[in-house]
Amino acid sequence: MTNVLNAIIANKPIRPTVQDKSPSFTFDSEGRIKPLKDKGKLLPSKIFGSPVEYAKDLKQDVLNIGKAAKGKANDHELGRINDLAMKFGSLCLATYLFIKNPLKLSKAMEFVGFGSFFASMALWPKLAIQAPLKVRTGVDIHQKYIDSQGRKKMLHQDPQYDLTDLYSREDLDKMGKKLNVSENLPDRDDFIKQRAKKTAIQGNTLWMATAGFATPLMSALICNRLEKPIAKAIEKYDLISSSVGMEKGAANGPISKLKQHLAQISLNKFLQQNADRVMDDKLVSELAVKLGGKANSATLQDAIKEELKSLKTNVKLDESFIRAAVGDKVPQDIFNTLSEKQRTLLNKSIAEGSVRGISDIIASAVPGTKHEQMQLKKTIASLIEKAKTSQELPKLSVISDKVQSMYSSLSSFASEKAMLDKFITARVGDKSGTYIANQWGRVGDKLIKSLKLNTAELKALSQGNMDVLMDKLSQLAANEMEYDKTINDLMRLIGDYESKTGTPVVSRIKQKAQDICSRASGDLQTKGFSKVADKITSSSQKGTLETVINVNTAERISGAQSSFYRLIQAIDIIKKSKDGKLNQQLSRILKEEGQKFDIATLEKLSKACQKVVLTATTTDYVEKLKSAGFELSEVEYKAVMKALFDNKIDTANTLEQSLSKSVGTERAQEILQGFRNYKDEFMNKVANWQNGMTKDLSRRTVTGITNSANAVERNNIAGKPIKNLIQDVAKQTYNSQKWLKIFGTTFAALTVITLALGLTFGRKSKMEKQIEEESKVK
Amino acid sequence: MVYSVGVQNQYNKKLYEHASFGKKEKDKRSKCENHDALLIEEKTKHPISTSIKIQTNKLANAFTKYPKKGFMGSKNANFYEYLTMGMVPYLIGSGMLIGVFNFASKFFDTPAAVNSAKLGKKMGLGVLAYGILKTLSKKFIEVPVNLMRNVDVNLPYDKVVYELPENNNKDNLVSHEYHKVFESVDFPRFDLFYNNKYFGEERDAYFKKTAKKFGFKEEDVEHSDQKVKPKIRETVVKTRLFTTLSSYLWAATGVGVAMQKPWESLIINPKTRLANFKNYKQIAKQAKEQGRNIAKYNYFYKDFGNKFVESCKQFINNNHKATKYAGRALLGAAVGMTILGNIFALHDFNKDKGSKTQASTSLIDDSKEKVIC
Repeated sequence: MTNVLNAIIANKPIRPTVQDKSPSFTFDSEGRIKPLKDKGKLLPSKIFGSPVEYAKDLKQDVLNIGKAAKGKANDHELGRINDLAMKFGSLCLATYLFIKNPLKLSKAMEFVGFGSFFASMALWPKLAIQAPLKVRTGVDIHQKYIDSQGRKKMLHQDPQYDLTDLYSREDLDKMGKKLNVSENLPDRDDFIKQRAKKTAIQGNTLWMATAGFATPLMSALICNRLEKPIAKAIEKYDLISSSVGMEKGAANGPISKLKQHLAQISLNKFLQQNADRVMDDKLVSELAVKLGGKANSATLQDAIKEELKSLKTNVKLDESFIRAAVGDKVPQDIFNTLSEKQRTLLNKSIAEGSVRGISDIIASAVPGTKHEQMQLKKTIASLIEKAKTSQELPKLSVISDKVQSMYSSLSSFASEKAMLDKFITARVGDKSGTYIANQWGRVGDKLIKSLKLNTAELKALSQGNMDVLMDKLSQLAANEMEYDKTINDLMRLIGDYESKTGTPVVSRIKQKAQDICSRASGDLQTKGFSKVADKITSSSQKGTLETVINVNTAERISGAQSSFYRLIQAIDIIKKSKDGKLNQQLSRILKEEGQKFDIATLEKLSKACQKVVLTATTTDYVEKLKSAGFELSEVEYKAVMKALFDNKIDTANTLEQSLSKSVGTERAQEILQGFRNYKDEFMNKVANWQNGMTKDLSRRTVTGITNSANAVERNNIAGKPIKNLIQDVAKQTYNSQKWLKIFGTTFAALTVITLALGLTFGRKSKMEKQIEEESKVK
Repeated sequence: MVYSVGVQNQYNKKLYEHASFGKKEKDKRSKCENHDALLIEEKTKHPISTSIKIQTNKLANAFTKYPKKGFMGSKNANFYEYLTMGMVPYLIGSGMLIGVFNFASKFFDTPAAVNSAKLGKKMGLGVLAYGILKTLSKKFIEVPVNLMRNVDVNLPYDKVVYELPENNNKDNLVSHEYHKVFESVDFPRFDLFYNNKYFGEERDAYFKKTAKKFGFKEEDVEHSDQKVKPKIRETVVKTRLFTTLSSYLWAATGVGVAMQKPWESLIINPKTRLANFKNYKQIAKQAKEQGRNIAKYNYFYKDFGNKFVESCKQFINNNHKATKYAGRALLGAAVGMTILGNIFALHDFNKDKGSKTQASTSLIDDSKEKVIC
């Protein structure tokens, strides 16, 4: 710049003809250079900036990139571009991880992580340093100013570039008061400015020293706290969007249409590329996958294969075809030398299409030994069959119209079914993040809370310690108020579950499945693809897609319902064992069975009842509790099962009282009815299960009713063992608490230290005090 | 110059009453000299040791001297110290990020500990990959620019700072700071290139050489410094812009690679590896024969290398289509930005029109005599 000025001075009074758009100097009336009038000013001191301001700055930063690409940016602009690039790079990474993660919650958490990290980076210095210091000393260490070129900068960024002259009288007075600077001090303003500068240096140093600890901790803690609300929000979104999507036909939405369009292009390409291939097994399989799509089951693909295989060309068996097929394996003149009888038989076989007959006649006409004729007969038959098959199997190009036609019906069906699947999955899908999975998690959380566990107990439970579980459940059952409250909480969750998976929802699924299956099936029937149509829905066939949809849904709903009932039952049984009602029930059963018993037996069976309800799996029931470690006689097994599942014995009075208190009599009766049905079903399908594998137990049943439940059904009725539920949740809770304890405590300690250090900033130094004292004396 | 005291108020007067500045004889002698020295010779002859020396000095000061001055609110604290202290949150933050995802897992039960360790490993590697790639990737643009234009944007110089006496400290008032010549595009330290024998005997040898690299004609090279300075400045701006933009994309790519599944089975196990260090071949052979996981007993770099190759493959060729294309897009963006950076930084957009940003080119008439200081 000096050179420029010198050059101008050397040419004085000539003014440059071409000027920079915004030179950093001007001229006085005599043409001499003088500095520009300063236009710098402080911006209003705020802890949080406005979004509009942020958007404006962002726009300017983006524009500055274009400027910098031409080599025209300054330090300030490059610095801001760096911040922008960091955010952009992180956003790219978050987007990549968003795409990579399969689960919605994980996807969302990638952006939450990104946002929380930058938020923490910005918030920590504001909340822990800037705001407290401003309150205590009046100094805003991140005070911004706008310079003469209109650039926003930090006032205290460079301590050697003193801009404290920008402080107004009001600002200085405010700071002076808070910094306790004597009113009568000569050069008071300079004194205040020095103190403000010192405070800012200290604050900025504290920021640098603590940000490395605070930002990751704060970000991790924010993510930890936000995970559950976000899961809940995603769950709500899925429930609503899948419902709306199914009803409004989102299958015809733009994304779905684009997908269909792309699939159509892919199919057309496939048909073109493979036009000359014959429809052999390999090609049929490839086509079945393309037509069947992901949304449909393998059984549908099998039906498509069958359908495609049936698209054969009828081959006319005549003499010329046979001549061509056998070729030079048989002398061609043999056809002219056939006897009349042979000719008649040959014509008859041709008319019947009997390859065996044809080959028999031709082979017998060829001279040779019987053995040679037998060999020739086989060869001829094989040649004719081969020629026939190769002509029967059409080229793909011949049937591509039919394939297209089948595809158009199947693709509409697939997209409609995809929406139905989405509706079902959002509610009862067997994967994490669905309503059913989340609700089950909430039940576990509620239970863990009700058990009032300390860290050691939580750890023991997370390791599957049954004694702690029994002990805690007993304590819960013994406390009337806590017991009622727990039942009340659980009922609310169950009520919510029923509202989302109850009869109206199941009917809706059934109706929709029927609608889309009937429509697709009818369409395919009309086009002549009856095999595929019947596989989608049929009144005469079993295992159609429609049935599969309904059965799978019902199984998932009943599985979760059973788990809920099992949970109620577990709490109820523990309570009964505490107040002696369980022993009364057991003794009644044993008496009815004519079994002698003592207190020890009753205690043993009572413990068995409690343990069974908490831990038993389907296998344990199938093995008549032997695999669960119980050596029970036949009568004892019956007693345990009856005490647990016989509605005549277990009248659930205690539960009724508690339920009535929490949900009212009417609703309590409803729930109890469901509970009774569950127990009946359990008794018939699980407790009575006759297992052929263990002979000594195989015929052991409670009521002698033979059931027809399959393994999946039994598993669904048995539900999830309470011990497993509590252990899973305890593990999660323990880990979460441990993590929170370590990092939450560290963060809290860091915050306290930072705030405490902040209290020491901006104080008068010894020398300053001395000057103040001296000025007072004067 | 460096002792100018600014506002002479009572407070400052008190300070300067005893201001002998405690200068030692050798410092007094060179009171008004500019001690700042370009480290071109050191960097060229001993690039690694010079870089280590500078970084160690900065790191040590960032954790000790500068925070001490900062917490005291020293009047000698400056922007360089503030920026150098920026290393502190960067390094501690990286350690904390690794810690947040790894430390707690040892208190968890299996399988939570196993799952947590898997994620922790990936996060740890992600943090390392971020730092390494962010630094290294800048060289993809900086090296070609240096070779083609003779502009080393990282060229360091030793700045001598004379501090004000404070807290009865009157003796140790000289400190050294390691700056970069082009760290400021507004005020690059062009002065350090003049009369530097390293570049040649001529006063402006560096600028002449650089002018040739920029393709100036022989007759222009005579006044090369005035001609080439704006060009250097533009090149520095463009290089800074594109190294910044590309480095974050490379860093994101690095983290993306670190997030791939193969890393989950990386066995770090330093204790066993060190114990097996001497006869690792024999132990690895035994492990192989016994059907155990050989990676545990092999050299770490081999296992690491295998995982790295697998992860890179998975990053650009993932089974999941969208992930595959996203990975390719991220890598493509990083590579693309680097190529673009090279093109922009090495291309002179203002060659024909003359630089409008630099008043010098439009205001100075080359035919007239000029005063150069």
